[in-house]
Amino acid sequence: MKQLVSLVGALALVVTLLGSTASAHHSAVQYDFGKTATITGVVVKFQAINPHMRLTLRVTDEKGTREVELEGHSTNNMYRAGYRDGLIKVGDKITVNVAPLRDGTEGGYMVAAVTASGTRFGVQSAAERAREQQKAEGK
Amino acid sequence: MSRTLVTLVVAGSLAASAAVLSGQAPQRPDFTGVWTNYVEPGAARGGGPGRGGGPPLPLTEEAQKKVAAYRGLIGTSGDTPGGHCLGTGMPGSMLGSGGYPMEILQRPEQINITYEAHNEVRRVYLGDRIVPMADRVPGRNGHSSARWEGDTLVVETTHLVEQVEQRYAHSDQAKIVERYSLSTDSRGTKVLTAEMTLTDPVFYTKPVTDTKKWAFVPNGHLLPYECAEEGWRIHLEELEKKANTRKESK
Repeated sequence: MKQLVSLVGALALVVTLLGSTASAHHSAVQYDFGKTATITGVVVKFQAINPHMRLTLRVTDEKGTREVELEGHSTNNMYRAGYRDGLIKVGDKITVNVAPLRDGTEGGYMVAAVTASGTRFGVQSAAERAREQQKAEGK
Repeated sequence: MSRTLVTLVVAGSLAASAAVLSGQAPQRPDFTGVWTNYVEPGAARGGGPGRGGGPPLPLTEEAQKKVAAYRGLIGTSGDTPGGHCLGTGMPGSMLGSGGYPMEILQRPEQINITYEAHNEVRRVYLGDRIVPMADRVPGRNGHSSARWEGDTLVVETTHLVEQVEQRYAHSDQAKIVERYSLSTDSRGTKVLTAEMTLTDPVFYTKPVTDTKKWAFVPNGHLLPYECAEEGWRIHLEELEKKANTRKESK
């Protein structure tokens, strides 16, 4: 966890300074990094690339089954937060923590993941940090 | 003066003379290696005011208009050069380059600095490698020449293009001087400090300064960073969709 915490500040800076995807030319401002949503699904597509990882999950819940597209921190930053080649494969059932889209559309910006084998990588969101801080302070 | 001290002084003088006679270059600090953003002992990571804080910059009226026009143009989009796979440029590159590490490879006549983000490279030339003024090509990182002042490397960067999107926006008349020196902090971490002075008579009413510190990463490695790969894959996916649509319509 220490490794994850230590990267939070740096990654927040990276998101701010480097912006977002190449082709879509959009920015990370569409995501609410003050909130965290958890999404569990089966991996349909996964690309470990820069400046942002790309992930498509097939999600099944009370709303039905649909594909949810996500992007996330750069592969380089995720590597430094525990990601290694081969940790996520098509067909795996995984859980990801995302900063949700501000407009309420399903999807988000992946900040952390728990893989099919139980390996966790990524960083804590601001909301997670706040919750842990409150827990530590006994609130 | 004791006999021992006299002996040491004489031996030191002889050694120095021998170095001069043999033509040996003076021993310089070696900045070679991977460096990451330095955090002062006891300071929280990422807890500072950020690069956007600080007092207002002494911008000229012309610069204020240009910067305001740029900010009005991008609005709240959050657009940055990096969002379009463009390197940070000076002085943003030397002031942190998006939080990613950098690697320095040092030779006596040339020092290469690679910033991991966007694989951005600066080449700093010394001595005879310095490119003549008339032959320099302007760019976002300009032309950097350097000299040693004792153990401090003084890098002078000119031939920059105008960059209004920088934290320190500047014109093509900007000159940036960086003074690099090594130290060791209370934890034993090797620290590389860069003191920057930006002079630009078109954009600033007086020189502006900033300081950046880097921490040495023992046996560190930079990772590959191909920013355009995502755009290329998206482009291929779009082509594939169009191809499938054509097939279905036949």
